[in-house]
Amino acid sequence: MPTKTKPKRRILSHVVLGVYVLTVLYPLWFVLVASMKNNTELFNDPWGLPHQLDFTNYIHVLSNSPIWKNFMNSAIVGLVATFSTILLSTAIAYAVTRMKFKVLNKLVYGLLLISLLIPPASLLIPLYIMIKDFGLYNSHLALILPYTSFGIPLSVFIISAFLKSIPLELEEAGVMDGLSTYGILGRIIIPLTMPTLVTVFILNFINNWNEYILASLFLSSQELRTMPVAIVAFADKYNFNYGAMTASIVLSVVPVMIMYAFFQRSIIEGVTAGSVKG
Amino acid sequence: MIKIYRNFTAYFIFVIPALLLYITFYLTPLFNSLHYSVTSWNGINEPVFNGFDNFAKALTDEKFWVAFKNNLYFVAFSVFVQIPLIIVISIMVSSVKRFLGFYKLTVFLPSILSTASVAIIWKFIFAPEAGLLNQLLKGIGLESWTHIWLGDKSVAFLAVLVTNAWQWTGFYIVLVLAGIFAIPKEIMEAGEIDGAVGWRKAWSLTIPLIRPVIGVTLLLSVTGAMKALDTVLIMTKGGPFGSTELMATYMYKQAYSLSDFGYANAISIVITIFTALLSLFLTFFNNKSKEVSY
Repeated sequence: MPTKTKPKRRILSHVVLGVYVLTVLYPLWFVLVASMKNNTELFNDPWGLPHQLDFTNYIHVLSNSPIWKNFMNSAIVGLVATFSTILLSTAIAYAVTRMKFKVLNKLVYGLLLISLLIPPASLLIPLYIMIKDFGLYNSHLALILPYTSFGIPLSVFIISAFLKSIPLELEEAGVMDGLSTYGILGRIIIPLTMPTLVTVFILNFINNWNEYILASLFLSSQELRTMPVAIVAFADKYNFNYGAMTASIVLSVVPVMIMYAFFQRSIIEGVTAGSVKG
Repeated sequence: MIKIYRNFTAYFIFVIPALLLYITFYLTPLFNSLHYSVTSWNGINEPVFNGFDNFAKALTDEKFWVAFKNNLYFVAFSVFVQIPLIIVISIMVSSVKRFLGFYKLTVFLPSILSTASVAIIWKFIFAPEAGLLNQLLKGIGLESWTHIWLGDKSVAFLAVLVTNAWQWTGFYIVLVLAGIFAIPKEIMEAGEIDGAVGWRKAWSLTIPLIRPVIGVTLLLSVTGAMKALDTVLIMTKGGPFGSTELMATYMYKQAYSLSDFGYANAISIVITIFTALLSLFLTFFNNKSKEVSY
């Protein structure tokens, strides 16, 4: 698209963007470097590379805290909630976009749209009370159920938008072959929607993996904690042991970074598609 | 075909589970909140109806007003600092050919990290002794500029705003970038032939054409203040002296530190109304300016 940008101006753009990229990356690099230093080294030589590849801080974190357990908790809660969201959202999106119950469809879609006006923060306290009333406090279900529900509206919007673009002929052919409503969903719709479902999956999983506030309020025992809560607790505990603190940050960030490395396109597309529609 | 799609049992099976969860954990809390907001309740005894006392209390509660104003500052910062920056950088990114993918990838990175990690990273950057920022200032001879960033009420809120901006600016850039690349090529070329180049092109062509996506960005970043709850709780807990308090953190404290669940719910209703009004206003504004046709 840009055909006539002058070279001088282009250099200026690169300089500005370079500075911006540096402000994004340098803090992350600094944390990584700090995680391989002890406090003395950090104070005396904050800028330099660590003298050697020193994993003492990591060993310390891994052996002195249940961080591996926290990691598994995050994975379990995140995966269960994400799969539930996808399953439920696909079903409801399919019903609303394809099935012939006009009034009901509008009603269902309208109910889901209300979510756009509700900031999640305002649900925090009534939700906390509800979780206690249901006897779910301090169990993983206390997170799985709200995470699943919070993911539904946006997932339905994204999946519905995609379903509307699939031509009806394929389903008609399915009917000819004697497929039932469920058969069409399972054999035709879901395979066709797979790329979108992957995007929606990643989107929800990152949200769930990163969620902090509900996780910090609805669980009390250390054993059940998810990663974000664990690293915040750890940062408080090791207020002045910067090496251990930064090591635990690195440990929590690495899984998301790996996901990002593999699925950057889906992630960017999903997140932007989601918010343009939201 | 028609028969298949009039299968009410199937419809019921597809719709009910999702709807039930959504209503239980999304809509019901809102209605419960409305109910609790007109009661006096410590979270243990039975809630006692007290009319609009909690809302009246908010009106005269100075600390609440500080939090309310901070929310407004947050919005002002988004609208007048962040958004213009986002637009300028997006246009710059869109005009380069080399490293385009690299820029996009790196600026987006912070927005996939958890707010908890970001908050701790920046708490570390702002740390008085070993922190990156003070070390940097000392390193370049600006020792007098150093602060105990998160403990100084004149700069703490700025520190929180910067942290939040660091996390989300790249996300919005990618969003606006998508808008810029969606503009049909011919329009830009026609504009260039008519003499629109460089910043003139940006001002008179690109920006008007991407107004819808700017609207979305505005909407999202303005309501972002409501999501900054965890950043503030982790970095400053609303302190020092309430200088970083937001409505959401104030609500949180009323409930969990002071066990005033009635008042906390009233504040959560105020937050909902505040956000809903802002969103509706911006949506209305967006629709009015949506007369962009290629």
